[in-house]
Amino acid sequence: MFRKTKVLLSKLGLDVHNRGLLTVAKELSDAGMEIIYIGNSLPKEIISTAIQEDVDVVGVSSLGGAHLTLGGDLMEEAKCVGLKERIGFVIGGVFPPGDAEKLKQIGFDETFMPGATRDQIVSSIQKVVSSKMEMNRKE
Amino acid sequence: MPEKRTTKEILKTRMERKRRTPLYHPSALKKLSLDFEQWQKDILREEDRKNWVVTPHTVLGSDIPREMLYTPLHHPDFDYMEDLGHSGQEPFTRGIHANMYRGKEFTMRQLTGFGGPEETNERIKFMLAHGGTGVNVLFDLPTIQMYDSDDPVSRGQVGMSGVAIDSVEDMDLVFKDIPLDQVTVSLVTHYPSNTAILFPMFLAMAERRGIPWTKLRGSVQNDITLEEVVRSGPEYIPPKDCFRIQCDNIEFIRQNVPQWNFVTYNGYNLREYGTSGVTEMAVALANAIDSVQEMLRRGHDVDWIAERIAFFWSPASDFFEEVARIRAVRRLWYKIMKYRFEAKDRRSLWMRCHVQTSGVSLRREEPLNNLIRAAYQALAAVLGGVQSLHVDSYDEAYSVPTEEAALLSLRTQQIIDAETAVTEVVDPLGGSFYVEALTNEMEARILDEVDEIEKMGDYVTAIEKGWLHKKIAEYFHKERGRIEKGLIKVVGYNLYPSPTALPPINVFRYPEGVEERQKDRLAKLRDRRDNEKVKSALIALEGACQTGKNVFPYALQCARVGCSEGEIFKVFKRAFGLWKPPSLW
Repeated sequence: MFRKTKVLLSKLGLDVHNRGLLTVAKELSDAGMEIIYIGNSLPKEIISTAIQEDVDVVGVSSLGGAHLTLGGDLMEEAKCVGLKERIGFVIGGVFPPGDAEKLKQIGFDETFMPGATRDQIVSSIQKVVSSKMEMNRKE
Repeated sequence: MPEKRTTKEILKTRMERKRRTPLYHPSALKKLSLDFEQWQKDILREEDRKNWVVTPHTVLGSDIPREMLYTPLHHPDFDYMEDLGHSGQEPFTRGIHANMYRGKEFTMRQLTGFGGPEETNERIKFMLAHGGTGVNVLFDLPTIQMYDSDDPVSRGQVGMSGVAIDSVEDMDLVFKDIPLDQVTVSLVTHYPSNTAILFPMFLAMAERRGIPWTKLRGSVQNDITLEEVVRSGPEYIPPKDCFRIQCDNIEFIRQNVPQWNFVTYNGYNLREYGTSGVTEMAVALANAIDSVQEMLRRGHDVDWIAERIAFFWSPASDFFEEVARIRAVRRLWYKIMKYRFEAKDRRSLWMRCHVQTSGVSLRREEPLNNLIRAAYQALAAVLGGVQSLHVDSYDEAYSVPTEEAALLSLRTQQIIDAETAVTEVVDPLGGSFYVEALTNEMEARILDEVDEIEKMGDYVTAIEKGWLHKKIAEYFHKERGRIEKGLIKVVGYNLYPSPTALPPINVFRYPEGVEERQKDRLAKLRDRRDNEKVKSALIALEGACQTGKNVFPYALQCARVGCSEGEIFKVFKRAFGLWKPPSLW
């Protein structure tokens, strides 16, 4: 049976800026995905909600400078519970140049910076989801 | 009880009897009108006639239609003295001071804040040494959200996007060697709750230094809109309690720190979140009206309270709209204070404001273009007659500004002030047919939105109902769509994008070790302070929250005995409970 792509969206930590994430939430929802928006949360809570809600993708947003530390924590948690390989992880926000690469090294599947268009975001997330599904099927 | 009348209705009744003395002679207007028709037939091209009205779409714009040419016909009953007056004269359309920038340049107040108090202190001194004329301190995410640096939720965020403050000790370090009786200080305490926590620390620091509070000059923000609408955070206290703290702060600061601006109605962050310039101002006015009303209810005189009210606006991309609306809101605030609240003192009638150029309009692509954007926005603000200014830096789509970028922002202001001569003549755009027509239009639209809010009951109700939250979400989704479609033009992004990658810019990197240093200092403080005194100060504060006494003096006692920010916020949460803001999902 066809299942809608389920996306968990969260502000990372205490970051106050949520305009971008709310914009993305609507765009993903318009593209037919199911959105679970949990506002400001810490990595542990994000991972436990992701498991509970059985989502396909976790998307986090950080414009306050904590993308590497809290982003790192999030991916560590994900690895610990074996979630990293099963579902997609994407991050968006304001990062200095070069940090997008670092975020990928930490384990994020995709990064989005100011200027990313609706189409780029939607299609990248779809790609991340299908490649994870593909990988999971092989296993 | 008579039905509550809205500000718009009150102004209408109280102002309609005023006699107008139109500047234009009816026969001159008649001749002009005939001539205009002839001009349209003879000189105007057919396609221009057809496209006479266009609606510019700009970043954070208001979608106000514009005609191709403006003439006296747009304002046939124009009455110079009633509608403009001279500068420093009612209705203050042309500026609150007669001599404006000839008397005093606009205050160059660049935001500063990153890392620990030590780093921020250095940056403040750097800006002052380069000609900055005011201090403007921004707090880090845990401080803004009211958690201590050693709280688990703060991990990785200490000193990010602002300076970390946990207690009076940090406040002392931020202002080390800065003469507080000489420099004006703006503390960007966005929320009423953190104003009630951080400003007491500032006052306690002044006490320690032996500086009387009567000598302190500056401002706090203290705005419910930021705490309950604009913010995204893990925990919120209910709007009605937040509004009460806002008013408690106003009352205490007015009584005890007479030269301090106890509130800065912050349109800026609201607009940047996603609203037009009209909604930005309407919301700030609605909040201001309700606070003045509450002060009257508490038994204070309108003039006592009004002379220290300040506003904070965001000039965005539509140049003339920005000039016009600053002039418009100055006239509208005058009318509200004079005709609704019957204030007598001249100062009570002044809409004094600080502005900051628009951060949302800055782009990551070709970041140097942002220098040009910010310079035009700053120029619009100066032509609108603002009191103080911050210019955003070109690298802010990457991180907080480097020292070089922060200096360029200050230089932008200094060039406007010293090199362009725009400051030599007061309100240089006043009398322009276009600017005056747009000023009238903006004023009417702002008042209409104030009316919409007041018809919901009051501003707190408008927040509780989620009216504002929804309005914002609709706005920013629409704006995003327009930028993607190219309807809002953004050079270097959706218009003339560069075919080749440009070299990367230098970007700010946060100093290391700040979190550890803050945690360490806090641990030592908790060890050293008199914990019995801390406990009883916190209990007394909780009692004040519950019994309806003004919370500020109790928060002040907490600051004096070394309570940390997180400890004080916990009291608010316990006393008021938590509120869940309207879900946008």
